[in-house]
Amino acid sequence: MQNTSTKTIGFKTLGCRLNQFETDALASKFVKQGYKVIEDSEDADVFIVNTCTVTNASDQKSKYVVNKAVKQGHDGMLIITGCMANHHKEQLEVKYPNAYVVQNEDKSSIPDLVAAHFNKEIIPTGKMQGGVFNFEPASDTFHTRSMIKIQDGCDNFCTFCIIPRVRGRATSRKVDEILTNIKQVVAFGYKEVVLTGVNISRYNDEGVNFSQLLQKIVELPVDFRVRISSIEPDGFDEQFFQLLEHPKVTPHLHLCLQSASEKVLLHMRRMYTFKSYKSIIERIRNINPLFNITTDVIVGFPGESEKDFEDSLKAVSELNFGHVHTFKYSKRDGTRAAGMTNIVTEKEKTERSERLRKLAAENKLKFRKQFIGLIQNVLVESISEDGWAKGYGENYVPVKFKMPEAEKNTIYQIKISNIDKADIEDPILVGECI
Amino acid sequence: MNKTSATETAIKTDLHEILDIRHLTDSTFVLRIDKKDMSFTAGQHICVGPPNGIHTREYSVYSAEKDPYLEILVKEVENGLVSPVLKNLQVGGYVIVEEPVGYFGINNESCETQKHVFIASGTGISPFHSFVKSKPGLDYTLLHGVKTGNEAYEKNEYEKGRIVTCTSREGTGDFYGRVTDYLKLNRFGKGAHYYLCGNCNMIHDVYDILEEQGVSTENIHAEVYF
Repeated sequence: MQNTSTKTIGFKTLGCRLNQFETDALASKFVKQGYKVIEDSEDADVFIVNTCTVTNASDQKSKYVVNKAVKQGHDGMLIITGCMANHHKEQLEVKYPNAYVVQNEDKSSIPDLVAAHFNKEIIPTGKMQGGVFNFEPASDTFHTRSMIKIQDGCDNFCTFCIIPRVRGRATSRKVDEILTNIKQVVAFGYKEVVLTGVNISRYNDEGVNFSQLLQKIVELPVDFRVRISSIEPDGFDEQFFQLLEHPKVTPHLHLCLQSASEKVLLHMRRMYTFKSYKSIIERIRNINPLFNITTDVIVGFPGESEKDFEDSLKAVSELNFGHVHTFKYSKRDGTRAAGMTNIVTEKEKTERSERLRKLAAENKLKFRKQFIGLIQNVLVESISEDGWAKGYGENYVPVKFKMPEAEKNTIYQIKISNIDKADIEDPILVGECI
Repeated sequence: MNKTSATETAIKTDLHEILDIRHLTDSTFVLRIDKKDMSFTAGQHICVGPPNGIHTREYSVYSAEKDPYLEILVKEVENGLVSPVLKNLQVGGYVIVEEPVGYFGINNESCETQKHVFIASGTGISPFHSFVKSKPGLDYTLLHGVKTGNEAYEKNEYEKGRIVTCTSREGTGDFYGRVTDYLKLNRFGKGAHYYLCGNCNMIHDVYDILEEQGVSTENIHAEVYF
């Protein structure tokens, strides 16, 4: 262990699960090296902002976090990493001359950078020994579920998306490394692993595709459940659908729709049609009618007419989504869509976004009500002072139950009896331990 | 531990020398460039732009996988930022080329036994030219939609009887009308695999026609040109 004089590392993470995985891996490594790790910049000797750039709002939020830390007097080492660091490296280096701007490819070597900083050494840019999969399994993380990075980058080049430009070409982690990683985190005590990547449906390691990888994962002779999480709705084979019935695979997929208008999907250069998307959902719901399918929808893509938008509204009504993440289209320089005319006004985008969010919230409530009377295996994430344990069931629906003696990171069988609608945006199932 | 590095995942960009420019019409030309060590799968596209500039555009590769050079089929877009500049470049000059990407491809294992119907509008014929030249023995019919017969780009490169030029403005092609009109009158069956490349409206209309004809969406593959 290094002599770190109990220095404190603060983290703030924005954006996707991949960023969360990478923060967790870094945090765990710092803990192993003797640092104290916190989720804030206050009193931190090092503050690491793991940024996102998927939309303009993401850029703004990322900059806000950095500015807030600076304004609050953070005078220690400041590291800006993540996709905004890739997208706006030069601007960030000008705006924050004392910050280290570390691109995604070198993120895994941040602990070396920090050690060098405290040893008054300098690692020149380009000399960092990074690598997109060079993260050690995390034992001490900010999450109850252990995220497992299986893939990075994307070759789809959807016309609205900047991610291929900031995460690079699609690349897949070695099968053996993934299996070893899962066995290690289960040994650390994790009960659930979440497979993450930019485009995991395109996983391919020397001919082993995503379904074949998933088969190997569920065959591991250790006790855990696996969540696929976010996946693109293309390239599913028979084996994939069969694996959705496996007891280790949780009945939840975040299946990105983006639009239900065939015309808009073509302009987005998505790899599927709405009809094929719908048939995937029908097939999954034939396996399990309560299979939780959550999704992303972009509103106000260039050329999206009222009729196109209504197609998306209709889809949200029909497809019984567990959650819809609504994004207003955000122009990203360097993408194909940035040059598209026929712009939808901000006012119109806001109005459509509100209509979609309202409908999605109604449908979420309807979806969650179906669980009343049923049993969920809830992985506890927190227990409040008044004894309410909260967590997520296998279907990735939030559940709370009164049990002061409950323990975090433990799975309890809960019979759902009610739904708490205090938070209209995110109603929570209420139940009792059986 | 697998150390996939930054240089392995970043999108590679390089300067490629222009070897030849073949003008097919007043506005359309084939740009042949040095291949260097680039390999691609027929159907993929590359981003190409003038040197010393920040703008590039996507072009499906026109040449065959094993050709010792790369070719793209370019139509000059009036007031465009890239194509008019590319048109004025000279042999011996350079273009910026990003490495090939895309999943618009055909299954190598079944390409001789599977019936393929290629449906293109305008320069959307480009990936099909690459398919045909890369995969001898391919069983295909190519429907090419253009305004006039002189836009039937290098039609003689295709086996006789396998290409149908559909002209929408006059009758100098094989069929007077749009590819969609031809497709309504001539069915290729539910077992064929359909590959569509061209403008969004054509692809949208063809999807509808094929669906009406009972073709599964799993058998339809599309690449949109903007």
